[in-house]
Amino acid sequence: MLFSRRLMLGLAMAGSMAGALAVPALAGEGPTEIDLFFPVPVDGKLARDMGTLIKEFNDGHPDIKATAVYTGSYDDTLIKTRASIKAGKPPAAVIMSANFLLDMQIENELTNLDSLIAADGSTKDQFLGQFFPALSGNAVINRSVYGVPFQNSTPLLYINADKAKEAGLDASKPPQTWAELTDWAKKLTKREGDKVTQWGIAIPCAYDYCGWMMETLTMSNGGRYYNEEFGGEVYYDTPSMLGALSWWNDLIAKHKVHPPGATPGPAVSTSFISGNAAMMMLSTGSLTYVRENAKFAYKVAFIPRNVRNAVPIGGASLIIPAGVEADKQKAAWTLIKWMTSPEKSAWWSRATGYFAPNMAAYKTPDMVDFLSKNPDAKTAVEQLDVAKPWFATYKTVPVRKNLEDEVMLVLNGKKQPKDALVAAQKAADETLKPYNAETSLKLP
Amino acid sequence: MKLIERLYKDAPLATRNEITPKLGFLLTVLLALVWLIPFLWMGVATLRPSSDGINLMAELIPSLKPTLDNIRDAWEIGDFPRYFLNTTIICTGILLVQFVTITLAGFAFARLDFAGKTPIFYLFLMQLMLVPVLLIVPNLSLVVQLGLYDTLAGVMMPFFASAFGTFLMRQAFEAIPTELEDAALIDGASLIQRIRHIYVPLSLPSFSAFAIISVTSHWNDFLWPLMVINSPDKRPLTVGLSVFTKTAEGTQDWGTIAAGTLMVIAPLLITFLIFQKRFISSFVTSGIK
Repeated sequence: MLFSRRLMLGLAMAGSMAGALAVPALAGEGPTEIDLFFPVPVDGKLARDMGTLIKEFNDGHPDIKATAVYTGSYDDTLIKTRASIKAGKPPAAVIMSANFLLDMQIENELTNLDSLIAADGSTKDQFLGQFFPALSGNAVINRSVYGVPFQNSTPLLYINADKAKEAGLDASKPPQTWAELTDWAKKLTKREGDKVTQWGIAIPCAYDYCGWMMETLTMSNGGRYYNEEFGGEVYYDTPSMLGALSWWNDLIAKHKVHPPGATPGPAVSTSFISGNAAMMMLSTGSLTYVRENAKFAYKVAFIPRNVRNAVPIGGASLIIPAGVEADKQKAAWTLIKWMTSPEKSAWWSRATGYFAPNMAAYKTPDMVDFLSKNPDAKTAVEQLDVAKPWFATYKTVPVRKNLEDEVMLVLNGKKQPKDALVAAQKAADETLKPYNAETSLKLP
Repeated sequence: MKLIERLYKDAPLATRNEITPKLGFLLTVLLALVWLIPFLWMGVATLRPSSDGINLMAELIPSLKPTLDNIRDAWEIGDFPRYFLNTTIICTGILLVQFVTITLAGFAFARLDFAGKTPIFYLFLMQLMLVPVLLIVPNLSLVVQLGLYDTLAGVMMPFFASAFGTFLMRQAFEAIPTELEDAALIDGASLIQRIRHIYVPLSLPSFSAFAIISVTSHWNDFLWPLMVINSPDKRPLTVGLSVFTKTAEGTQDWGTIAAGTLMVIAPLLITFLIFQKRFISSFVTSGIK
């Protein structure tokens, strides 16, 4: 009896095991596995948020298994993506700094998304119509869509309202021109003898950030950083850029209201939060951090103008690298559409401080509620009316560094603005030479 | 002042009344203090409650109410035990293979005679002049072709041969008298036996000096593991840590970063403190001061 029962059990177990083994075979292939490369936009907690987001996606899409792969800074992410494309193992999707798209397209490293959009029965205009118009400049190349805006930013002026009040200034009427801003910065700088105890303003300058701030200042000075239509030209040695760099330099050297030297972004936000700097220019991507850490009343405002109100777009878009297999491409497209949907877009915006690129995000109940409690989150969106594309050229990173290296020398008091810009232009022209030889200088 | 007195008593008779050694010692103490400040700050920042706000973040004076919150946060964000394991596997794996390759290569360059020995050696040394970043794409293509993409073996592979280690072992082996080898040869020892029983034991200080350099450099390597590894569970410490130290838009949670950094460097720091004397003597005897 016992024996037979054992036998029965054994048979039953064997049967169930065979069944378990057969299931995957019967179901065909498992879920499509895809990688999503992502840089960390603000801090480590957001890396965890990204994990949450991807888990939610996987739970809702049993036929796809996405893995979020952390890839360092924006610049590191470009290196890793490029290396993996060259090595034949491209990820299915990447959150890529929005201004790297042109360079990647020139190098044939991007998948043209037009056919994926058409396969959904949508047109390019309908698809791009979901997003703020200012963003298309960095998503569309030669009238084809190459990127989908995911997390975007504009630079903002952050003001410590308590300090402003102390100095007899009204933060609800923020400075609107460079002249007013300089005046505010002077009034907000406190000195004890030669020692400065409180800086009027701080503007970050470190690789990546410095180029973006130079574009911001140049644009509000009436100029442009690069040729928006063609990737082979930058305008470093121009009056508008000279004016911008000279003003920045004057804040340090002449008025002594800006900490000397090239200050990295985290140091700027830290000194603003600690009350060591009364104003700062920084991305809206830092807004959540400021909101959570400021122990004083603060105000965010448009970037003041010298000639006109204008700011560049910042942040990142979702792309599909070249060479991704068709089934993974399809899965990546599903993921991209899901991540940029109004709900997810709005959720990520609340978590980070980036604005949501999808316009419908601002109509979701959670977002309406959030904005009524945090009106400061509206400023970046309002500023979009005057926003223009982020600089993008052939070899964007080296061309950007050609300028940044020189700007750092100026801020550190080692070079005059005019000499620096002449040198930057020369270096950039050299970097851009191969592309120009293939395009604008190649005569029939 | 007590320090100076002790220094006076400990000093050899001849230098007891001289001022220069004391100045040198004081300078060393001063340098050590400067060197210590970042570590001190890291420790203080780790234990400082975030309620102190960022105002006090830059201060070196410890908070009255220390907290372990930052350590807990960092621990939760990153899977540290796994990162530790991965880094340990990478560092020991590389080191073990390196020991074999640099011993054999070092021996060949020190003792064997073959055509073009000197040019080949210089060619070998040229590897030291290449910036590793330059080789990222070709190395990665090779790693992919070998099917080692997204594996720890792929992270280790490019470092199995070390030009610096070969150079170091060649120098060490050349300093060993050939008579010892000749004696072993008479006793009928094979090539491997001679290396194993004469050259390796006599070059232990050089091996440990190389081990320190190899382990610290691979412990700290960031870009290459970032390129090879995709799966979160295969991340080494540096990549895991940078998840919360790298930022795109200019904000940082210093308390958590300090805690994470402390956890990453702690094993190396503790090892160094325990084996301090041995480490230093190994550098002294191997001639790297």
